[in-house]
Amino acid sequence: MMRFLLKRLGGALVVLALVAVLVFCLTRLASGDPVALLLGDQATVEDIAAARTQYGLDKPLPVQFALWVGELLQGNLGHSLFLQRPVAQALLERAEPTLFLALFAVGIAALVGVPCGMAAAIWRGSAADQAVSSVAMLGASVPSFWLGLILIQLFAVKLGWFPASGYGDPTASLGERLQHLLLPALVLGMLNSAIIIRFTRASMLDILGEDYVRTARAKGLPEGTIMVKHVLRNALVPIVTVLGLTMALMIGGTVVTETVFNLPGVGNLVVRAVLRRDYPVIQGTLLVIAAIYVFINLAIDFLYTLVDPRIRLEAP
Amino acid sequence: MQTSGTRRVQPQSVSPTSARRALLKASMLATALVLGGTSAWAQNGALPKGGAVNLAMVGEPQGLDPMVSTADLVGTIMQHVYEPLYTFDANWNIAPMLAESLPTVSKDGLSYTIALRKGVKFHNGRDLTADDVVASLQRWMELSPRGKAVGKEVASLTAKGALSVELKLKTPYAPLLAQLALPSGMAAIMAKESIAPQLKEFIGTGPYKFKERRPDQFTVLTRFDNYTARKEPASGYAGKREAVLDELRFVPVPSANTRVEGSLSGQFHYADLLPVEAMGRVEKGAPAVVPIVTKNFGFPYIVFNTKEGVLANQPLRRAVQTAVGTGELMAAGFGDNRFFTVEPNFFPKGTPYYSDAGSKLYNERNPQVAKDLAAKAGYNADQPVRIMASRQYEFHYNMALVMAEQLKKAGFKTDLQVVDWATLVQRRNDAKLWDVYFTHSGLLPEPMLSPPQLGDGAPGWWDSADKKASLAAFNQETNPTKRGALWGKVQQVVYDEVPFIEVGKFNSLSARSAKLVGYTPAVWPFFWNTGLKN
Repeated sequence: MMRFLLKRLGGALVVLALVAVLVFCLTRLASGDPVALLLGDQATVEDIAAARTQYGLDKPLPVQFALWVGELLQGNLGHSLFLQRPVAQALLERAEPTLFLALFAVGIAALVGVPCGMAAAIWRGSAADQAVSSVAMLGASVPSFWLGLILIQLFAVKLGWFPASGYGDPTASLGERLQHLLLPALVLGMLNSAIIIRFTRASMLDILGEDYVRTARAKGLPEGTIMVKHVLRNALVPIVTVLGLTMALMIGGTVVTETVFNLPGVGNLVVRAVLRRDYPVIQGTLLVIAAIYVFINLAIDFLYTLVDPRIRLEAP
Repeated sequence: MQTSGTRRVQPQSVSPTSARRALLKASMLATALVLGGTSAWAQNGALPKGGAVNLAMVGEPQGLDPMVSTADLVGTIMQHVYEPLYTFDANWNIAPMLAESLPTVSKDGLSYTIALRKGVKFHNGRDLTADDVVASLQRWMELSPRGKAVGKEVASLTAKGALSVELKLKTPYAPLLAQLALPSGMAAIMAKESIAPQLKEFIGTGPYKFKERRPDQFTVLTRFDNYTARKEPASGYAGKREAVLDELRFVPVPSANTRVEGSLSGQFHYADLLPVEAMGRVEKGAPAVVPIVTKNFGFPYIVFNTKEGVLANQPLRRAVQTAVGTGELMAAGFGDNRFFTVEPNFFPKGTPYYSDAGSKLYNERNPQVAKDLAAKAGYNADQPVRIMASRQYEFHYNMALVMAEQLKKAGFKTDLQVVDWATLVQRRNDAKLWDVYFTHSGLLPEPMLSPPQLGDGAPGWWDSADKKASLAAFNQETNPTKRGALWGKVQQVVYDEVPFIEVGKFNSLSARSAKLVGYTPAVWPFFWNTGLKN
């Protein structure tokens, strides 16, 4: 068990090192000059050169990379060029909306997706299955910005039930903040529930065809018990995987929704950093997102061992 | 992902030539078309006290140091915290702010004596003195791009007693007071003890104090209770300022569409710079939402590389000028003709710098003549004209598309390079990479402030004997009436030598909640003398 986890952890570190190299190269390969943007049109060539020196952007790229890695090894993600604060602090400030949004959205996706998927599998081929599958198809193909705009139009502008955007006033309570998150969470939750429905349905159908389900039916177990104890329990492995990955994806993948709803989250931070060419923020944030993704995968692996003991035995 | 709203003037807090600004003399109140009058509130002094407002701005400010950044957004926010010595009134005349009155200028135009108001309080409770002014202006001349330009003209700056400052120039420099008055790249007066290369605290004399900034979330200012107001009635940025609202929250909302929805839903009390296509929706939001159209807000301009590449050849630039139809470009850029004007004068009629010099060379759109001119200039049809434009400002891109077509009609080969704004501002500094680029600027009350190509060393690298001579005459004349006439000569040189083409003028659209009362439309919007109705 320990060996299994240690091996996975070693692999994770290699992935992160590769991500660091890749992220650094990609940000520097993109054209654009953060200093010219920072100083504006009135800046002279000398001003720009002086600022480049101040931020260490005049050094050769390998030196800049080495300096960054050195900082990373000391646990320092760097300092933003634009925000006048360390990258770690900028990230922490934006972690709350993104985490709440992701949790909220995954919650909605699971609550909608699992029961619908189960129903579709149990009554396979029925009108209910057809309806659920069509809705899932539709959900998976609707662009999130469109759904976001429609919800804003309806619930914020027409009905006035929810705020149109943002994350509340500086003094807003947690309740008010969650109210700001409901519409974006609904968008993300609805779209992702489509995937959960399809996965639940497919995975339940697989299990329904198994011998032990036939045996359970043959020995006269009530249908409810069979479904919950035997079928759903065994179907959970892929569903948990998908839920976990959805959660991980949302940490960095809520970009569009965060932009439409102007949420000050991690996705928004990355987008704005890219437009400003704020290298330390792009690098630091992407690395952290990659780390979260890798560790959620690790956590899923660990969860497997709880849901399905065979995985533990198969580990070398 | 929507990185910029269509035709949004200023995305992501990054602006060409500090875009927000300027209406011109006499035109501001007359032409800033405010649909729904609010001035009665200001005149009656019956503004309801208290309240907090959410102000949706186009992005996150680059920082909060109003000297270092020339971005309009930084100036818009920090003009509530810091005040300059001089400012502009409603007719774009220079008016005193922290200075007691307009300066006493020596006959040779070289020495300015500036008396300061007595008993003006800083946010830390101390009184303003001449030492604060000298220290602040010195910092401005060292750090601010605008201040550095002024610093080159200044021979000395000294305190004369507790409440008087003397500024001596090397040669007469007419734009001095306008430079001291502008809110962007502001000559802000700061408490001496708070001055540092990187400001740690923001201690000014303004009606609002800095409270908190959370990047990409908000910048919050609160009322300064001991604010020392001027006695004159309010006019533009000048005169009496009163902090009526308790709290101003500047919220960065880069997505233009989100600003529109937020103002329609009542979440924002003010939404800055909306896409002109949103006019219909904002009008439908009446009576809860009031549109604000600001005439002659800014101008798009096309910069030519006069140093290297195919258009370094001046007769060829003339050929391009002849091929271009600026009317079509403005229509492509701004659509609805309520939002733009096609006219050759760089400054609107009725303002001191209005001139029709060079107007024959404006909006010619004559491909045949252009073709002949190009042939005479020795144009070889294998040489592409490289046009650089960004989609971050949709109107730049739309205009670039049309211009490329107009050039093709005149026999030019074109190479349209669409890049993001961050890339454009980098590449334009390298003369080898481009021939033409699109940008825009706010219309400023002083010609020397924009576009930067009127100065030295700006991208395009325009440098000629006629430029130097006409600008020297213009800058050394301190008499405003004579300066007006001299500007026409500069404008003529621009038309003759084609270092850039001013395409036309555009108007801006913003929106406010009907609850926000007393608000006076301004190019750098301000929220003193503004209250919140229940």
